[in-house]
Amino acid sequence: MRQAAQLVDVARSKLMASLAGLVLVGFVIVHMLGNLQVFEGSDAINGYASVLRDMPIFLWTARAGLLTAVVVHVGLTVRLALRNRQGRPVPYTLRRYRAASVASRTMALTGSLLLMFIVFHLLHLTVGIIDPAAPHGMDAQGRMDVYGKIIHAFRNPLYVGIYVGGQLVLGLHLSHAVSSVFQTWGIAHAALDRLFKLAGPGVALFVVLGNLAIIFAVFLGWVRT
Amino acid sequence: MKFTLRIWRQRGPNERGGFVTYPVDDVSSDMSFLEMLDALNQRLIVAGEDPVAFEHDCREGICGSCSLVIDGVPHGPDRGVTTCQLYMRRFVDGATITIEPWRAKAFPIIKDLVVDRRALDRIMQAGGYISVNTGGAVDANTLLIGKEEAETAMDAASCIGCGACVAACKNASAMLFVAAKVSHLALLPQGKPERTRRVMAMVRAMEREGFGSCGNQYECEAVCPKQISVRFIALLNREYLRASLTETRLSTRSDSSHGESY
Repeated sequence: MRQAAQLVDVARSKLMASLAGLVLVGFVIVHMLGNLQVFEGSDAINGYASVLRDMPIFLWTARAGLLTAVVVHVGLTVRLALRNRQGRPVPYTLRRYRAASVASRTMALTGSLLLMFIVFHLLHLTVGIIDPAAPHGMDAQGRMDVYGKIIHAFRNPLYVGIYVGGQLVLGLHLSHAVSSVFQTWGIAHAALDRLFKLAGPGVALFVVLGNLAIIFAVFLGWVRT
Repeated sequence: MKFTLRIWRQRGPNERGGFVTYPVDDVSSDMSFLEMLDALNQRLIVAGEDPVAFEHDCREGICGSCSLVIDGVPHGPDRGVTTCQLYMRRFVDGATITIEPWRAKAFPIIKDLVVDRRALDRIMQAGGYISVNTGGAVDANTLLIGKEEAETAMDAASCIGCGACVAACKNASAMLFVAAKVSHLALLPQGKPERTRRVMAMVRAMEREGFGSCGNQYECEAVCPKQISVRFIALLNREYLRASLTETRLSTRSDSSHGESY
């Protein structure tokens, strides 16, 4: 009986992992849209940040929810990946792919890199211990100067490089992930299948282009200071 | 035509295997891939050597016995055909051809290129059937089935159980096979009464056999000799979800009339 329960885990953990992943996809979209306020100037983005921080219950609930989603998603996918690797103990000497996209073949790699990038990003711009030279002060209205931090970070080619790398990894991971969700949840339709297939690359491109716009606009000095 | 064959040779399930190179010449371009191997085996037998073991039966693409990974692709370079329907004219004269068995934990090698695919049979035993009372057969047109449903069910039913989907999958998953069997029965009225029990039993059997899970890469569809669509995997996932939601009710009823216990 216990063994049976363990076995059912495989199909169900895929469903759970995809749900947790969807939460994270939703977050990266909102995160990107929110950050686009950099283009409105320091007042807009600092105001946005302070609105979020002025609602500690909301902020910490969201953070706890995201952390839970990350733990569930990473935990289950790592377990599935390890189990899947046991599916073929002796590898092929010669292997030719016909359908598998680069993104689908590198999910474990891009997922791991993405996790590392997220930890780096949190330590860098949220906690602020990566770059001690960054401004930690307040703006004129006494709000945390998020704008100053962003400008400082993306004027530095090193951070631009790291963040652009992070975006490429994110884009690859999302492009397979989002399309996959439809299949995993059994959402298929003769007429809409092409749309579902395009959803992954579409969402990936949307998020990555939005984020890259911020990074490069700051780097090239197109953002008002 | 002339070829250099790199064939996986393995004496038994627990022996160490390795590639052995065989040059073959005098190959007619009209020979099927298996006939080319027959010719090689004839030569080996005459020379007193052990012939290459490979599985084959109908040689017309419907039995699902032949199972070779040719140059890294299950059933070789042509789409929508089995190994036995592959002809030597498809290859460049003088080419080196690498031949490997299906590789999966659930498909242990018996000898050379022959693998044990009974794992698929055990999945079928778990639920790939319908229960019919004995007696006279029902008249042909008593149960009316829509054209669309009948066609879709037939598309799924064209699975010959060769296991190429497993061989092609990065995770050695049998999802396309199980999807084809579950869909074929779930789409028809005869299969509907047992659909909940069936999908749970077959998915569990698949997991028990050590097949991996689906990564949605769709390599299976690309090598399937019957070109079964991965849309059936979506249908399987849907069936599984539906069954999961009603499962609690099911387990209290504990329907064990088919000797299946979980």
